[in-house]
Amino acid sequence: MHSRSSLALSLAVMVASGAGTLAALDWPLKAKLFPMVIGIPLFFLAAAEVAWILLSKTPEEKTAQAEISPAIARRRSLLGAGWILGLLASVVLLGFPIAVPLFVFLYLKLQGREGWVISIAIALGTWGLFYGLFDRLLHLPFPAGWLLSWVGFFS
Amino acid sequence: MLEALLQGLLAVLQVKAFSFMLLGILVGFWVGLLPGLGGATTLALMLPFVYNMQPVEAFAFLLGMHSVVATTGDITSVLFGVPGEATTAAIILDGYAMTKNGQAGRALGAALTSSLIGALIGAAALALAVPIVRPLVLSFGSPELFMLAVVGLAFIASLSAQGVRGMVRGFIAGGLGLYLAMVGQDPQAGVARFTFDSLYLSQGIDLVPVLVGLFAIPEIIDLVVRGSSIAGTTNPGRIQGALEGVKDVFRNGWLTIRCSLIGTLVGIMPGMGGAVAQWMAYGHATQSARSPEERAGFGNGDVRGVLGPGAACNSKEGGALIPTVAFGVPGSTSMAILLGGFFLLGLVPGPEMLTTHLSVTFSMVWTIVLANVITVVLCFLLLNRLARLTTLPGHFLIPVILVLVFIGSYTTNSSYADLVVTLVFGAVGYLMVRAGYPRAPLVLGLVLGKIAENYLYISVARYDAAWLLRPFVLVLLAVAVGVVLYPFFQLWRARKRARA
Amino acid sequence: MRSLLFAVLAALPLVGAAQASPYAGKTVTIVVGYKPGGGYDAMARLLARHLPKHIPGKPTVIVQNMPGGNSIIAANYLYSSAKPDGMTLGTFNRNLPIAQLTAVQGVKFDMRKFAWIGSAANETTVLTIRDDLPYKSFDELRKAKQPVVIGSTGPGANTYDFPLLLKDLLGVNLKIVSGYSSSADIMLAVERKEVDGRAGSISSLRPFVERKLVRPVVRARSHDVDPTIKDLPTDESLAPNPRAKAIMALRSAPELIARPYVMPPNTPPELLKIMREAFVAAIKDPAALAEANKAKLDLEYTSGDEAMKVLAEVLNQPKDIVEEFSKYVKFGE
Repeated sequence: MHSRSSLALSLAVMVASGAGTLAALDWPLKAKLFPMVIGIPLFFLAAAEVAWILLSKTPEEKTAQAEISPAIARRRSLLGAGWILGLLASVVLLGFPIAVPLFVFLYLKLQGREGWVISIAIALGTWGLFYGLFDRLLHLPFPAGWLLSWVGFFS
Repeated sequence: MLEALLQGLLAVLQVKAFSFMLLGILVGFWVGLLPGLGGATTLALMLPFVYNMQPVEAFAFLLGMHSVVATTGDITSVLFGVPGEATTAAIILDGYAMTKNGQAGRALGAALTSSLIGALIGAAALALAVPIVRPLVLSFGSPELFMLAVVGLAFIASLSAQGVRGMVRGFIAGGLGLYLAMVGQDPQAGVARFTFDSLYLSQGIDLVPVLVGLFAIPEIIDLVVRGSSIAGTTNPGRIQGALEGVKDVFRNGWLTIRCSLIGTLVGIMPGMGGAVAQWMAYGHATQSARSPEERAGFGNGDVRGVLGPGAACNSKEGGALIPTVAFGVPGSTSMAILLGGFFLLGLVPGPEMLTTHLSVTFSMVWTIVLANVITVVLCFLLLNRLARLTTLPGHFLIPVILVLVFIGSYTTNSSYADLVVTLVFGAVGYLMVRAGYPRAPLVLGLVLGKIAENYLYISVARYDAAWLLRPFVLVLLAVAVGVVLYPFFQLWRARKRARA
Repeated sequence: MRSLLFAVLAALPLVGAAQASPYAGKTVTIVVGYKPGGGYDAMARLLARHLPKHIPGKPTVIVQNMPGGNSIIAANYLYSSAKPDGMTLGTFNRNLPIAQLTAVQGVKFDMRKFAWIGSAANETTVLTIRDDLPYKSFDELRKAKQPVVIGSTGPGANTYDFPLLLKDLLGVNLKIVSGYSSSADIMLAVERKEVDGRAGSISSLRPFVERKLVRPVVRARSHDVDPTIKDLPTDESLAPNPRAKAIMALRSAPELIARPYVMPPNTPPELLKIMREAFVAAIKDPAALAEANKAKLDLEYTSGDEAMKVLAEVLNQPKDIVEEFSKYVKFGE
């Protein structure tokens, strides 16, 4: 697992620095100098790491979390990532004002198996902090639905 | 001069000024604790309130608020692994690791004490610099700024694990950071680099969403995986050891002072940005390891990795005030806003602040000192309560922290793209932790890349090759070489000892 | 039943007041295309404090920051997403007309279709050089044998574009060094004699002119010019040919509407009228002027109709001028 993570990372860095260097070729000298000077060595460092991983026979052991079996750890990691992506989806689809209390409530109720009262109380408390501070006091723009908000993003 | 020093103190101790300072501390306390809600933004929002204040009152309010933010930002970083401020991320590495080992109290004790010492040293530097401030700041030109960035980047070597493999990984991380710094329109030819035609990326990648993703997201997933409280099962019921943390700072007194000086120096440099200070200090702290085993302990809860960044983060504020006061040229974003405060009050920063208005300048020094003392005392009183949060079952904290992380990153540009950046770097951070890559070099590269590029171009355009022979450039070059070679020296020394 | 009737009767005057002004009890939002802390943001916050008393119904006025893409994101939002119900105002980068003209990636608005309220300030760009240099006037600067080093942030900023045109179109012996993090950093470079001068708006340079660090030598066209720089030559008046003059005029045009304020397209005319009147009144309000003066902000009113004229001037340029112009000036901050 350890070396698989490293393989994924260094391959990604290879792709990014390789593609970046190719893209930089067309630029004027002053714009491309730094991207080239950094990008090319970066590509080879990442390539060295990839070669290292592929050539080494014994994969390195992961040290931490001795008390949790790898299978459970993997399942829980995916669960955590799922909750995080779920929050992103609900923010985008429903907007912060609804997503914030909903997420806190659902997490406490489903993941934490807390009672109704505690779940609702903490959800409301978080919402109160959110609404009072970020909405009323700081006037951050929190778009309501997803249709409004994709304007200007990757356009 | 002594008279002005005393006048400055008396001015701050006036009832009105003092109460405004307390108010500022109260606001700053919360701003620091909440991730993402930055000190600079808050300063901008508070500016309108200073219209009807006297200069000393206004600065007691603004500076009081500002000096506290770094201190309480450290608390969030240490307790929850979430950067409370962009400038307090470095303390996470060892601070949060200590918390996970059940040593939250000791980590906080060290962080707060070193913050206080750092702030005092920064304030002292500001006061002492008064007679020499102009030549001091003017002797640092673009070539020196470039070399300082190089020194910063040289710390990548110290921040990597020892051995060739560790170095390769460290430099991949550092190179990636530098590469990310290139995103956005370049200031030489005006080319939009790596923006994929997106408006969001056209002004470069912001630090806050990256930091939050890189550090907070992996820790949240880790907390889900462990399924326990942050402090885990090691927690003995009542958290103690704050005093131990205080003692740690004095045991490593010389290191604390050195890191404070690094912070002050970075603060004085206009355009270096506050985020650089902590990382350079952290890099320096790792150099104090005497054996490979000790070095490997950094990142797993070495107290020196807490007190170094803690000191630098607060000492940089005194330093940042120096160019602001003496030239009307702000050393950081917050200082730029503070400068707006000067104008509002009818003060024109510049040489006069060192002569006619000297007592105002000294009142700022005193505000920094008093605000920090008050905050640290306050925090020590609350410390046990705060630390107890880490013994709560994880599922209480996870949703609240996650929501705050999302909002915090969203406040950067009020764009959902901020959230996407956070999650992308969350994934990168997660992989880096699993694969054993150091995250610090990535951050250093990101914060220093632009500075290195721009100031190199300026140096060459302005001085051709002659800049290489400037005395400070040579000194900094020697320092950079020393910093790069130091890990090898550490290794050699350790081997020699082992043989002996 | 009777109590209900009473309640209705009691509420009538309130309803009457609410109907008198569409703004009573409402919240008006000023969307700013930048982060808090800059000039655009400071102006919006100043107006947010002084607009309410001049709008019938005294609504609450708040400021929302929507930064990114040199405020193209905010302009796109105002153009197509914000409701034209009179409750949203916007202020953004004055150079957006240039972005539209040169078809910058991501622009999804037509400046002319916004409901223009006007501009709260105009800027005059000047070139300042160090006071201790031997060149006391622009004429003397033009004869300089040694290149005069001008510090700048980068293409797209007036610290870069203005001296670039002076150099390329008027042949002034300037050397532009770009890459400084901010205009404040350039001032420090001036202070340590790393560079010889900087261009920028007079409002940002005034403190340094007053303390005799730098002196202004040439300015761009403007209206309501600060009396201390009124007699400086303008770049356009020295242009060697109409083409050069057109390019300089195009660069400086957005500065006439330096703090633009708009409402979304298709905002009802009666609401626009209320807002335009409140805008003038707030800008001329002595309390607002006093505050602006303290904060070193310039406050000058330009009407929405005049803003439209400036837009027409910018956007109706012949193609060849636009092409020529794009060679020199890039859209930026």
